[in-house]
Amino acid sequence: MRRPSPRLLLLLPTVTYRTVAFVEAARRLGVEVTVASERPSTFEQANPAGLVTLDFADPARAAGQARAFARRHVVQGVVAVDDDTAVVAAAISEELGLRGNPVAAAAAARDKHQQRLRLAAAGVAVPRFELLATAEDPERVARRASYPCVLKPLRLSASRGVVRADDAAGFVAAFQRLTAILEEPDVARCGDWARQILVEEFVPGREVAVEGLVTLGVLTVLAIFDKPDPLDGPFFEETIYVTPSRLAPTARQEVAACVQAAVGALGLREGPIHAEVRYNDRGAWLIELAARPIGGRCSAALRFTAGEGGTGNGEQVSLEEIIIRHALGMSIPTIEREVQASGVMMIPVSGAGVLREVRGVGEARKVPLVEEVVITAHPGQALVPWPEGSRYPGFIFARGGTSEAVEAALRAAHAQLEFLTEPAD
Amino acid sequence: MSAADLRITAEPIDNGRCKFLVSEPIHAGGVRRFASPDEARGSPLPEAIFAIPGADVTEVIVSGNLVTVVKRSPAPWPVVGKAVGRAIRAALAGGHQAVVTKPAASGSATADDALYERVADLFESQVNPMVARHGGRVELIDVQDAVVMVRMGGGCQGCGMADVTLRQGIEAMLQQQVPEVKGIVDITDHTAGSNPYFAAAKK
Repeated sequence: MRRPSPRLLLLLPTVTYRTVAFVEAARRLGVEVTVASERPSTFEQANPAGLVTLDFADPARAAGQARAFARRHVVQGVVAVDDDTAVVAAAISEELGLRGNPVAAAAAARDKHQQRLRLAAAGVAVPRFELLATAEDPERVARRASYPCVLKPLRLSASRGVVRADDAAGFVAAFQRLTAILEEPDVARCGDWARQILVEEFVPGREVAVEGLVTLGVLTVLAIFDKPDPLDGPFFEETIYVTPSRLAPTARQEVAACVQAAVGALGLREGPIHAEVRYNDRGAWLIELAARPIGGRCSAALRFTAGEGGTGNGEQVSLEEIIIRHALGMSIPTIEREVQASGVMMIPVSGAGVLREVRGVGEARKVPLVEEVVITAHPGQALVPWPEGSRYPGFIFARGGTSEAVEAALRAAHAQLEFLTEPAD
Repeated sequence: MSAADLRITAEPIDNGRCKFLVSEPIHAGGVRRFASPDEARGSPLPEAIFAIPGADVTEVIVSGNLVTVVKRSPAPWPVVGKAVGRAIRAALAGGHQAVVTKPAASGSATADDALYERVADLFESQVNPMVARHGGRVELIDVQDAVVMVRMGGGCQGCGMADVTLRQGIEAMLQQQVPEVKGIVDITDHTAGSNPYFAAAKK
């Protein structure tokens, strides 16, 4: 008798970029998928086993809803794709006894202040930090702050609202600018965290991103990405990620050890992690760690090869396939990244306005080593620069023999693009 | 337009499937789907695509100015895509029809016609009223060899959840109500969507 396929509960917020990558990965693996979103699909009644609505804003309630769903359709694994759903996935995995993180660990990873407290208490190198209320007098706080420092919201993603201040005047301006973002209706209604600001020491140095998979609390590093554009502020919009990292092997080991220590300090047990680490002459500094995979379309820069030593002799495996296999307890054929260097550029927003047209896409695609140029912004969409904005208008992907060549190709392709905008009303 | 002016943009869906948007029409006679080199015989474009060495192409779908290629090989699209681009340019420069018109109804075509009617009924009575609630519409383009080809429009075009609608909604409904259908292919150019119902917003 044919064994039924395992069922995966895939938590997909309606605004995610990750839908196709995860849904198609699940199809390739032949697993049954239930897509859970925070807003109902128009097909939910027609396909009650394949679609369900969960309250992503309330993880405990979502876990109860998942429990009710699981009474009708047995669920063997749960996968989250972003920061919010990582906490929901933890609540569901605890409720249903599935592989996952403890809720407290996922919640601590979700909140930058809670994360800092746990990491500092465990001796992980983190910047000095202080929690402020938006109601405080910024001029008074500015007088006692150390400079340079960075002001951050506790939860917004994609570096939205993150601003560097170099002196008291800059601090006050940054505080007011971030407070205005936190008072925007879509943010203000999210909870008490939207009335708080984290101020932390600016840590100089090269920044890398670490993509990893945690099993029983042990980190496997899947990739370390260099971020060759200096992230020195005043805003922290990301651009280029390239792997393999050009850090020295000992530095990479220190980075990996720092992330493993953070995983342990937070109490994360299972699933993907994405960490931002700074490296300087004092070692590796954990800037942030999230209990989710890399965001946006960036996972397409990662490819794993089920061949001999990653030489491309065998089947290619995506990051999403590895994550789904891990969640369902399926065997993982490989976690060895391909031999080629690979990179992605999150296309920066050059100026505010309503997008009218993007020129030069064809020319950008012709740049040697460039694999794809994806424009995700649509005509009529408002482009908002950082720190208020958080939506990249597109992504450029390249692969080649060396990280240097890939980085150069990404820059050359970006130079071909022209975003034509008109002023917003 | 000369071959040099021809613009071809690739839009990989995953490592197995990629859409190629061509700046001029390739085939005006509806959708043609080719599931083997034998089926492609006589049509220069799909013949050439099936013949790309090492690509292990399993399916070519041509509709208007869109060519969808499905392959089994792990070779990345930047490599295979260049060969597909050359095949498209050569086919259009050849002076012959790149894709011949669909032959008169065979046994399989008759079965497809019958399936088309049932799928069209399902789309009209159930699928489109559902997607219309989000300002979307789904157009049934054709049924070939029991594979349904659709194009999404309105709020569905470029929507962040379009793939969920396709797989968890429409495909699931087809499996239940028209089980003879073997698959569904979305030939939408989602990058051209100007009013998606759910726009991706996070990093």
